[in-house]
Parts: sequence; C-alpha cells; structure tokens
Amino acid sequence: MQLSKERVDAFLAELNQAVRVYVPARGEAVSSFARYGQGTEPAFDLVNTDMPPKDMLFPQTEKMYRYGLDDEGKPFVDATFDADEVVLFGVRPCDMRSIECMDDVFLTRGFIDEYYETRRQKLTTFALACTAPAPTCFCDSMGLNAGQAPAADVLLKDVGAAWQLAAQSEKGAALLGKYKGFFDESDVQDAGAKNSDSVSCTLKVDMDGVKEKLDQMFDHPLWEDITKKCLTCGTCTYVCPTCYCFDISQSNRMKIGERYRCWDSCMFSVYSEMAGGHNPRADKLSRVRQRFMHKLCFFEDRYGKSLCVGCGRCIQKCPVALDISCLIDDIGAAELAPVALAGEKGAGDGKH
Amino acid sequence: MTDTAPSITREQTARVQTARVQTTRVHTALFAEVTQKLRLRAKELLESGEVVSVIGWEAGRFENQTTPAFITDANKVDRLIFNEYCANTLGKYVLSEKLDGKVAVCVRGCESRGINRMISDNQLKRSEVYLLGLPCPGMVESPEVSHASEPSHAPEASSKLLSKCAFCTHRQPVVFDEYLGTCEATDETLGGLIPKPIDPSERFSDVEELEALSLDERNAYFEKLYNNCIRCYACREVCPCCTCRECFVDQARAGWQGKQNNLEENRFYNLTRVFHIGDRCVECGECERVCPMELPLMKINRKMVKDLTTLFSVPEAGLDSETISPLNTYDVADLEEYL
Amino acid sequence: MANTKTANSKAANIEIEHGCAREATVRQGLVPQLCTVKSISHETSDVMSLRISTFDGRRPFDCKPGQTAMVSLLPFGECMFCVSAQGEDYLEFTIKRVGYVTEQLHALSVGDTVGLRGPFGNWFPYESLKGRDVLFVGGGIGLAPLRSLITYMLDNRASYGRIDLVYSGSKPSDLVYLQDLQEAWPQQPNMHVHLSVYRESSDWDGAVAYTAPFLEGLGISATGKVAVLCGGPSLFRTCSASLEKMGFALEDIITTLEMRMKCGVGKCGRCNVGGKYICLDGPVFSMAELKTLPGSVH
Repeated sequence: MQLSKERVDAFLAELNQAVRVYVPARGEAVSSFARYGQGTEPAFDLVNTDMPPKDMLFPQTEKMYRYGLDDEGKPFVDATFDADEVVLFGVRPCDMRSIECMDDVFLTRGFIDEYYETRRQKLTTFALACTAPAPTCFCDSMGLNAGQAPAADVLLKDVGAAWQLAAQSEKGAALLGKYKGFFDESDVQDAGAKNSDSVSCTLKVDMDGVKEKLDQMFDHPLWEDITKKCLTCGTCTYVCPTCYCFDISQSNRMKIGERYRCWDSCMFSVYSEMAGGHNPRADKLSRVRQRFMHKLCFFEDRYGKSLCVGCGRCIQKCPVALDISCLIDDIGAAELAPVALAGEKGAGDGKH
Repeated sequence: MTDTAPSITREQTARVQTARVQTTRVHTALFAEVTQKLRLRAKELLESGEVVSVIGWEAGRFENQTTPAFITDANKVDRLIFNEYCANTLGKYVLSEKLDGKVAVCVRGCESRGINRMISDNQLKRSEVYLLGLPCPGMVESPEVSHASEPSHAPEASSKLLSKCAFCTHRQPVVFDEYLGTCEATDETLGGLIPKPIDPSERFSDVEELEALSLDERNAYFEKLYNNCIRCYACREVCPCCTCRECFVDQARAGWQGKQNNLEENRFYNLTRVFHIGDRCVECGECERVCPMELPLMKINRKMVKDLTTLFSVPEAGLDSETISPLNTYDVADLEEYL
Repeated sequence: MANTKTANSKAANIEIEHGCAREATVRQGLVPQLCTVKSISHETSDVMSLRISTFDGRRPFDCKPGQTAMVSLLPFGECMFCVSAQGEDYLEFTIKRVGYVTEQLHALSVGDTVGLRGPFGNWFPYESLKGRDVLFVGGGIGLAPLRSLITYMLDNRASYGRIDLVYSGSKPSDLVYLQDLQEAWPQQPNMHVHLSVYRESSDWDGAVAYTAPFLEGLGISATGKVAVLCGGPSLFRTCSASLEKMGFALEDIITTLEMRMKCGVGKCGRCNVGGKYICLDGPVFSMAELKTLPGSVH
C-alpha cells in the first residue's frame, strides 16, 4: 500500500480533523514534533528532531490531580484524567525504540502508570524508516535497524514519489483501513526510491561486553575524567528520548491546588537530596556516573535492554561535547583493576 | 504566545553577523603556531610542578569539533589544540579544578574577563591560576555536529562566526601571566589579520531592534522566548557570574522557583537570573551558545549592559578585578530624578 | 539466657521478598486517598507519631511489617515513611521534623485531613524469621521501622525466639517510644532491651556509649541469630561492621534503606542503588544483597 507524497497533506489534513496529528517540524529555533496544521510545515527530511517526541506520552509538566476544599469546605481530590487521540506521523526508529523503553518503565514492574497508559493507548505511530542517518546517529550499534521500527503501528518507507505503508499492528491496520481512499495498492518504486533496508550509520560503537564491564567499573577512575568537563546541566537528559526521571510537586492558588509531575534530571544536585540535607549523590561525579550507568548498565539489569537508543541528540546538544559514543569507546578500552569500594555515601541509611 | 510575535531565532543578529562573516580558515598558521607554544608551555608548567593541571581544548570525535581538556600529565600535552572551533569558554572550570592546586588555563578575551569577574566576586584568587593568554580571531560555528540532523549543511555555515563572537569587544585577553600570541596583546586586529572588533555604533544594534518594538510586540517576543525554555539550567551552569553556593532555583524549602515548565516559571527563572547577574555580565555569551533550545539569551543581558553603558557610562565588566561594579556602589551625588 | 527454640540448630535461610517489581498488576499508585488524623503522640521534641484512619474510621490499607507509605499534606507535599505500627483502625507513622513537609506534618491536629498512598515496597522477612532469635539494632528515629516488626513478633510471640533490642540516642530525651522501651517491652517474655545514650546526662543512669561499641560489649552471641539494623549513615556503617565482627553472616543481617523518593512505585528514578529501586525492590535488603549493589555500602 502506498501514499503518494502529493497526497500526504490531504491525508494529514483529513486525519487531523479526527485526531491530533503531530509531525516533525522546524521551529524558529529548534525542531520538534509539532501539531499539524496551524502553519506547521512537516519536515520529513529531518533525520531527527532536536527535541524528542517523549512529551507526547510524558509531558514535561503533567497535572496529576487537583485537590482542595469544595464549596462546603470539605477536602477533595479530583484525579479525573483523559488524553486526546494522537497520531505521531514521521517518528524515527530510534524514537520508536525509546517509546518501547518508556513502555517498560511505565507499564511494567509492579505498577501501571495510568497517566502514561491513557496517553499510550490513544497514540498511533507512523514510523519513518531512515535512509540517510546523521553523522551523530549510532542506532545500529545499539541493536536497532534504522530501516525498521517494530513497535510502530505503521511503517513508512520512502519509495520515491510515494511512501510504502505497512501496518504493523491492529491499530495501524484499522487506521489505514479507515482512510484507504488516500492510498493506492501499488508497490511501484521509482528512481527516487531510497534504500532503507540496509542502512548503516557512520558512527559505530562496540557495545559488546560494555554492560558486563560497567558492572565492575563503579569505582573506575574513568568517571573522574568525564566528570571534569561535565557542567551537570540538564541538557542531555531533556533532549534524551528515553530519560524518564520525574519529580512530583504542587502549585497552590487560594484553596485549590494541583499536584503535577515534571521532568527531572539526575544531573541536578537537588535530585537526590533528602529532607535534612543528606544527599547520597552530593558530588558531581556520583551524578555523572549515575546517568551513564543508568543508560548503559542499570536499565539493562532491570529491563533487559539498553536505555540508549543511539539517536545522537546528546552528542549534538551537549555544551561541552561530552560524547556518549566516546565514553562507550573509553569503557571498552578501560583496564579493569581491582579497586576498593569507595561508593556513594550513605545509601544505606535508616528510614526517616 | 502569538503567531505574530517577533522571531526568536538568533538569526536576528544577522545584520551584525553578515557584516562580520569571514573565512577564518586563513588563520591556520596562527593556530598552528599558538598550539605549538601552548603545548610547550603546558609541558614546562606541569613538569616544573608550577601547576597541577592545564585547561585547554582537545579534538572531539568529529571533524571541526573540540571539547574542553584537562591535562595533568606532562606527557599528554599534545592533546591540546587551538583552532577556530574552540567554542567553549573555559574560565569557570578553574573553580572546580583549583581544588587540587594551581591551575593553568587558556584565556582569550572572554575567559580573561570571566576570570576577573570571579576574582571580583571572591570566588577565586589571582594566585590560584596561571593564565596562558591566547589571541582569538573569533570562533566559528560547527554545524556538522550541532545541526547534524539537518539533511544538508550549507557549506558557508561552517565559516560563520558564533553569535557570541560576533558581538565580542575584547578578543585579546585582558589579563594573563604570559601571552602566546604573535602580535601585541593590545592589538585587537591580531596584527591586521582580522578586522577591528565590533564598531561601537553597531554594538547594540540587536538591542535597538528590540527596543524599537511596541510593548505588545516585546511582550510577545519574550513570551515566545520563555515558552521555549526547557529549564535545563545550562546557562546557569556555564555562567562565570553564577557562582552562588546555592542557587535560588535549588532552594526548594524557600520555594522561590516552581518546578513546572510553563511560561510563568520559565520567565521567573530567566528574569531572576538576568537581574541577579545585573551589572556583572562579562558578555562572554556562553549562556546563549550552550542553550540547547538555541534561544537568544544574550539579548536581554546586552540590554542591561547597554543601559549601564549609555545611562551611567560605566566601563565594561570584567576588564579588571578591582573596579567595583556600578550597582555595588553608592554615591550621595547619584542622580535620583524621581526623588 | 538459654535458647528455648530448637529450630536454631537447623535455621532456615532468610528469604527477603523482592517480588513487588515482578509484573504490572496494580493501577492505583500516584493519587492519594484522603484520610484523617486519629491521634498524635509526641515522642520527643522533634519526633511525633501520627495515627491515621479513613474518614469512616477504618485502617486505610493492610500492610506487612516494614512496608512504607507516602503521607501527603496536600498543599505542601508528600514524604515516604515506614509504617511503624498498625491497628484495627489506623496506621501509625513516626515522623521526625527534618524538612519542609515534616515541619508542616508536625503542625497537624487530630481530625485534620492528610493524603495517604501505599503500601509500597517489600517487608521484613517475618515468615522466614520464624523460630529464630532476633537482634534489633537501631538509633534515634531508626527504631520506627523496626517497631513494626517487633510489634508483629510480640503479637505472634510463640513463633519467634529470643528478642534483643539494642537502641541508642544522643540523649535520653531523643529516645522514641519510651513507654515501650522502659515498661512494655522489657516485660515481654524473652525480650531484652539494651539502651544507651551518647552523652552523659543527669537524668540517665544507664549506659553511655555509641551504639557500635555498646553492641559489641553486650556479649550477645551471633549463633542462630538474625540481626535487623536501622539507623543513620554513621550508625549503619559502624554497627554493620560490628555485627560482622560478632560473627553474623551477611545473609543474617537485615536492614531497611532510605533514599529520596517521589513516586514510590519504581518509576520516577531517583531512589535507585544500582539497578534496584529502594521504593519498590526494597526498602528491606540483607547485607549480602547490598554488597552486590554498586556503591551501596561503606
């Protein structure tokens, strides 16, 4: 099944009548997924948007519930929550993989996060197979195939004047069925067809054994080297499609308040600071190490996959060029010496 | 936020930038010579034990990319490089690096003014640093990495001055222990190699554009600007003025700063930071360079600088470490028109 | 004191449940249930115990000894506490005034509304402790989580062997649950309470010593015993070393950890030690388990 590129706008406009359609778009300053229509020009030529699509499922600030005193002065909690039907059109395979990682976090292991679950159920994804990765892309080293996005509802491949559509889920098939008037059944590829079946990134890292090595590198001097240049700003965590850590806080206006959650960053000193001032990750090194260990080691312990999808955004945006691909190289080259445990201070505190 | 709000791209500074775009690749010889001197002196300083660390730049993974380097081993000085892609202003790193002993740091105009700033603010003693002065022709963008996701990079983009360098008034270091350049350290043209720094009449051209807007337009501009902020605090972390032990943002108990990302909180953060920096901004432009959302953060800082300069005729900040910044002084003869 | 339990000779392995994170089952998690303050007792100048019931006077939820819950004071925030005791119609939390939210919690009165969500995390291995002698070691507010297990064991007294409690505070007025410590617990069969304070005081005629040397000087045998430890960073460090010195196997030293927590359900990320979340996989771990986690001990 194909969607002619000439008919993309008509299709998206029609779709946008029923659901909220988001497409990759260049903004004035940076690119991101933006609501289709309202003057948004889709930028399907962008390899990746500067900002990941994670806020579709996990907004930077999300209201969880309202509370306060009702008209009779009785306390109440109002946790009514709903989300719009959203189609994410043109998401790249690495970002699709990041959604798989977030699914693991929010939908498995003890508790289902209802906010995420609601948004996730109402999200339909059209992934766009990559044909020309950016110099900072290294997804194929992280176990991905840039031409495939198995978790997407529909996979789009560029066959020149059209996109080849393949439904990969019931949800995807149903949506394509509903709008079949926009598609034709041909599978013609013209001279402009781009290869997405054997796409190879130019940036390569060797992940073989990295996790196992990191298991023994908690106290390795390597962390001191990278810590020196790190600013401990939140850039890498906020442009990362998989960084999911959040804070919960509240804002109050008169008798009504709202508890919300918002993105947080393990790079910030207050992230793990406890009441009373004790902080198990008070020093910069502990925090820098935490982030990379979480990406490349701890997440795998818990969910069986790496939390880095190789999208390269942190490489592009890090103000000091602290490059995770270089770090992976360094880990691979590091010598393991038996070292005494120095460790994070005081993770073994008593309660309270 | 309205669709008709003035653009927040940094391209607004194009009037200045276009005038100053130049192919800096002609400076290859200068960079090669300075790099050689730098490595030699770094080696001597480390071997003699005069310093424990030399802060400079080294090559990154990608072409046309550098990253801050911290050399503590005299055998590794060959990692140091100096070229037109040394975008990072290094001064603030001395605050953490000096904990191990005296530190040598490469200083251009921007670093040297930041060093003076930190000395004035009692964050640093002059004796704790050894300043290796470098001549700077202005650094250029490296879109190969920062805009890697754009399918094509215009070739001319890689010879475009960083916006922070386009507005630079002091490329040469204003304080140093030794100077590794090839001309007089007071010669802002580097012996005629580059044009003079920005003309005073052009210096605040972008601020004037902002001032010319109507109140509504200005409001729309700033709303759009702060709506786009993600509050990663990179601007704070990199700023040589932001040296508070505990930033107001992190004073959770006092609760000044809400953690929500919305216009009110983002504007509160940004404006509070601007006012806190007040008269101390050394115009290194690092906040704007590091912003992952590519927001033109220097515009409002430069508005502050412009007002201080034009209304009070105060010298630029960070030219020395003794001058007390204007808002830190009080004189009964000060003009108080409203009293 | 002679050991009355024969089970010690073939003591079963202590098995700590970490299954809370195994699969997704529960949807409720982040939204609190509104409850009311049933009673307040002031333990020390900065510690109080808060008993919380539902509006219709029931226990808000069932929980096992050692489990935790998030107590929220709606306009101010939420904090994670260990449930220190539970009754038919209440859950009890012992709260030290250390920060912004706990300060507000201390200002509560009976009848005020609080939010509650839980129970979270795992629990003390009260099943596999059956038949064993148990040595509790705690300092200051660290007795709060231990109290849930002590109370459970006393309620099921016949299932457990000798109980020793070694407990210290900086000064006598810092000791929590004083009535239990001085009257109720010493009268329990085969239970021995050993108290010390760190500094001499005119109103104290008991031992003056830091917890670790005090513990080591009591001549308690590790044979057949399980130790349960909870206290601040330095007490944890010194007393875990003492316990090892006294001959306790790492598997037989059990502790409960604290980290900053926000969600309580293993999502928000901040309370990890290595790949484990303290809120969900913990807070209860054996020392043997902790030694396998990166950077968690010493």
